[in-house]
Amino acid sequence: MSTPVHARTAALPAQAAAGASMPARRHWARDLWRLLAPLYRQRAGALAAAFALAGVTLAAGVGLLGVSGWFLTGAALTTAGMAFNLFAPSALVRGLSFLRIAARYGERVTGHGATLRLLADLRTVVFGKLLPLDLAQLSRYRDGDLVARLTGDVDALDSVFLLVLVPIACALLGGAALGVVLGLWLPAAAWTLAVSVGASALLVPWWLAQASRAPGAAAQQAAAELRSQALQAVEGHADLLALDAEGAARREFAQACTALSRARQRQANLGTAGQAALQAVAGACVLAVLVWGLPALRNGTLPGPVLVGLLLAVLGFFEVVGPLMRGASRLGGAASAGARVAELAALSPAVRDPGTPAPPPADVTLRVEAVDYAYAPGGRAVLRDVSLSVAPGERIALVGESGAGKSTLLSLLLRLADPTAGRVTLGGVDLRALRQQDLHARVTLLSQDAPVFLGTVRTNLLIGAPEAGEAALWEALDAAGLGAFVRGLPEGLDTWTGETGRTLSAGQARRLCLARALLSPARVLVLDEPTQGLDAETERAFLADLPRAARGRSVVLSTHASLPPGVMHRVLRVESGRLLPVAGPV
Amino acid sequence: MSLTPAAQPVPADEPAAPLAAAASSPGRAHARWLAGLARAARRPLMAAVAAPLLAGALLLAQTWFLAQVLHQAIAEGAPVGTLYGGIAVVATLMGARVLLTWLGERAGQRAAESIKLSLRQALFAQLLARGPQWTRGQRSGELASMLAEQVEALDGFFSRYLPAMVAAAFLPLAFALALMPVDWVAGLILLLTAPLIPVFMALVGWGAEAANRRHLQAFARLSGFFADRVRGLATLKLFGRAQAEAQAVRDATEVVRAKTMAVLRIAFLSSAVLEFFAALGVAGVALYVGLSYLGFVDLRVSPLSLQAGLFCLLMAPEVYAPLRQFAAHYHDRATARAATAQLAATFETLPEPAALAAGQGQETLRAPAAQPASDAAALQVSGLVLRAPGRPLPVIDAAGFSLAPGEHVALAGASGIGKSTLLEALAGLRDGEGTIRLDGRPLADWPRADLRQRVALISQRPYLQAGSIAGNLRLAAPQADAEALHRAAERAGVLRFAQDLPQGLDTELGPRGYGLSGGQAQRVALARLFLRDPGLVLLDEPTAHLDGGTRDAVLREILAFCEGRTLLLVTHDEAVLDAFPRVLRIQAGGRVA
Repeated sequence: MSTPVHARTAALPAQAAAGASMPARRHWARDLWRLLAPLYRQRAGALAAAFALAGVTLAAGVGLLGVSGWFLTGAALTTAGMAFNLFAPSALVRGLSFLRIAARYGERVTGHGATLRLLADLRTVVFGKLLPLDLAQLSRYRDGDLVARLTGDVDALDSVFLLVLVPIACALLGGAALGVVLGLWLPAAAWTLAVSVGASALLVPWWLAQASRAPGAAAQQAAAELRSQALQAVEGHADLLALDAEGAARREFAQACTALSRARQRQANLGTAGQAALQAVAGACVLAVLVWGLPALRNGTLPGPVLVGLLLAVLGFFEVVGPLMRGASRLGGAASAGARVAELAALSPAVRDPGTPAPPPADVTLRVEAVDYAYAPGGRAVLRDVSLSVAPGERIALVGESGAGKSTLLSLLLRLADPTAGRVTLGGVDLRALRQQDLHARVTLLSQDAPVFLGTVRTNLLIGAPEAGEAALWEALDAAGLGAFVRGLPEGLDTWTGETGRTLSAGQARRLCLARALLSPARVLVLDEPTQGLDAETERAFLADLPRAARGRSVVLSTHASLPPGVMHRVLRVESGRLLPVAGPV
Repeated sequence: MSLTPAAQPVPADEPAAPLAAAASSPGRAHARWLAGLARAARRPLMAAVAAPLLAGALLLAQTWFLAQVLHQAIAEGAPVGTLYGGIAVVATLMGARVLLTWLGERAGQRAAESIKLSLRQALFAQLLARGPQWTRGQRSGELASMLAEQVEALDGFFSRYLPAMVAAAFLPLAFALALMPVDWVAGLILLLTAPLIPVFMALVGWGAEAANRRHLQAFARLSGFFADRVRGLATLKLFGRAQAEAQAVRDATEVVRAKTMAVLRIAFLSSAVLEFFAALGVAGVALYVGLSYLGFVDLRVSPLSLQAGLFCLLMAPEVYAPLRQFAAHYHDRATARAATAQLAATFETLPEPAALAAGQGQETLRAPAAQPASDAAALQVSGLVLRAPGRPLPVIDAAGFSLAPGEHVALAGASGIGKSTLLEALAGLRDGEGTIRLDGRPLADWPRADLRQRVALISQRPYLQAGSIAGNLRLAAPQADAEALHRAAERAGVLRFAQDLPQGLDTELGPRGYGLSGGQAQRVALARLFLRDPGLVLLDEPTAHLDGGTRDAVLREILAFCEGRTLLLVTHDEAVLDAFPRVLRIQAGGRVA
């Protein structure tokens, strides 16, 4: 839609802040949980299974090393081979090793499977939230930014369950169990273990998550900026070259790259610091078992095989919880990604459906009744006291200077915005009482910036009418003056249109969008400068053909073109927000 | 066709030739290229590789002393006081290893960052150098994903995989050999099981790489798909396609999920294989040592001490640890190679690693070209043939015409006939057959910077970027001061609407100039022209979307500005055509007359 700048863009400066917004300092964990918890609940079974298998993996790993140490030392101290029961411990060693391998494989497959499904759920939910938003809301985000949120940001959330929640819970549970066993012989070492596990599973991750939020957010932001720069350069490539602005584009891109690089380095540094902290804590625990274990050994309260078994069990425990730090250092990034996703998910459409929609009227008379419109409350009125009635089958043209309010008036007919005063009705029913879907099935729009989608000529047309047959497609193409061109293409309707229709000329893309609008079953066609980009001859032909193409449907169009006689029933002029009849014969 | 258009997120029949070619692309060349990139960050990478090797040597000593302390305490019953010296040595070695590992990881990350940084810039420069004709054939979402995600996908290869690979090549062997003097049987067991692991890993890894490539491809397409649908959200909603689109998104993400899972399954299987062999080795050593103690096995000259036994047991898992680390990072290699294949498929030629190492990625931006003569340019075109992809016949066929210096000419023709194509060729933005001479010199011989100064082209769908109106104008003249911007804006009729805006020329626009009407955007683009000083002006429908009054005013300004310059202006508008003494027409069949 195209209308003057004003309040629509007044919202834009706030956008940078919104994009960079990080969750309020204290609540990021809760916000992240609020976003993910409902999704986790949906996949609770698989996640619980993954968690249980992770626990089994940890227990088997720790048990394996502990039993081996105990067994080996016991064997070394035994002088007579016959007295030592060899078979129980050796069977235990073998059983635990294979249990560990199987449990780890199972945990990974179920855990990742569940997380990936969860991310797919989240993408669908967020995209669904975008659909009802209006253009002014969407325009606050750059396309690259929105795409980044839907792809990269959602992906960053996968680390939360597998790399953070599961290892932390396992470390705490496993640490408690190991602490109890250790406490049977060495209470002081058990307390050291408790403190170490607390530090490595809670304190250090918490600190890491806090500290990595800033670089995490910066990295996401820089990646989005980099993507935007690339998208801009690709879309504006010809203009960038023609304007000799290549250097500026490269400089800006280099800045975005450098910012991303710095943020990533800071993120990684935190991760390695966490890893080092964990390694140090593990070493301290081993030393603690030694320092308290040796006197106990000397006292005779701790048998030698048990000391070695405990020592190896502690070593094994920290080996298993190792990945925890990598996850924790990514938690900050996940938190800001989560905030960015949650921000999208929380947007509520400015134009809403009523709670109990009125049944769609059979009559398609559109009436604009004493409507005022301003972009911001109390702002300059773009439309003032405008009234207009469009009878079924009537064709009306709006003319006037660019920026006079034509597009705004057209957008009100589709309830892309609500008037500040007055009302718009369809068949006597206020548009605000109708479901938007019902309204759009009856009134359709060709906007000034209607896009050509990635796909073929056919798929682009079918968006207007999914059930349309081949004949209907050709009819629409012919009416839009594109039939001959498409017939001349080697692949006809199945010709690839390329992104934003760049394999078509501007005029051809416009005509494809026009054909799409003509295909729509809606009884009222609203066309915003339908012939923009067409040459004079095609323009005349299109306008002359319009009564036939419209097939008795109502038409409201805005145009700068000179209208052939007899095509439109009425011509109205929009001037500084007011609607005036045009004198003289049409 | 039963499928609705929107329900086809990843059409099977798209012209994805470059991607298809990737499957059979020479993987060896890509691997060499990746290895070559490593040279761009030689020093930090050396540190990253050396650190784990050194830490491994320290680990041997640490384990030896730990086993000694336990041996003295348990087998010899030494008094506690005499053991603290040994414990202190163990603690010191532990601390040193922590420090080394920390330094090594940081160095690895630094290396990866510096490689990615120069690669991104080199690829971006290459993208710009390819010309608009090339980028138009690509999907912008996918190109952006190349620069952002695919380059990022190389990260693990340098920061983690390379150090882990070197460690895995040396440490297991070194550890097994170090065990030999202590107990040759234990050393032999480890020496024999360890090499089996890389063999199995390689088998599994081949599958992983193919799966990974499919996954990355699917992810890049998902990005492209989202970019396209986000751009057209409003239209989709108006046509009641919201539900169908939600389903299409679900399908598209489902494709990515399935492919990701395929990659992961293989990766997990390979680590399970690794763990199986590691378990076999550790259990073998434990059993052998235990049986030796119990006297069931007697392959030694002297009896095995507790210290030697513990040392073997403690070192056994450490022999496999570097391999496990390597396996954990093996997918980094697969990811990097798959990303390389994607980059190669999209960009056709990858930047020379040697050039990156020399820092050419951040190539210095050239100084502003010497002020060219701003007098009117002469243009001669002969035998020009221009083609467009997917069109069997040339768009422009054997065109020949010339513009005298200072001449003002209009170019007319039905829409879609190739007027914009012709202008792009004249501006040197598109290749064709035949010759175009500017000031008597073939276009191909012009230094690009000089050519840009000499020729100004304002296209039909002008590109406005997110940012202020002033910022958009400054694209044409970075050094222009506020007054110059103001004057240009006034001449192009931008001030007529910008004056009413709360922040005037500093008003921020959305992406693609959102917030401006078609006619307003056109005038902003035109204002860029007035900031430049070209000899040849090429304008593509500068007065489309303008009402009569504005059109006449803008046209007057254009003609005034082009006084003493050569002008070629494309238009449909009869009223505009009337203002030109000479009109060229493109006929059907691509002839220009």
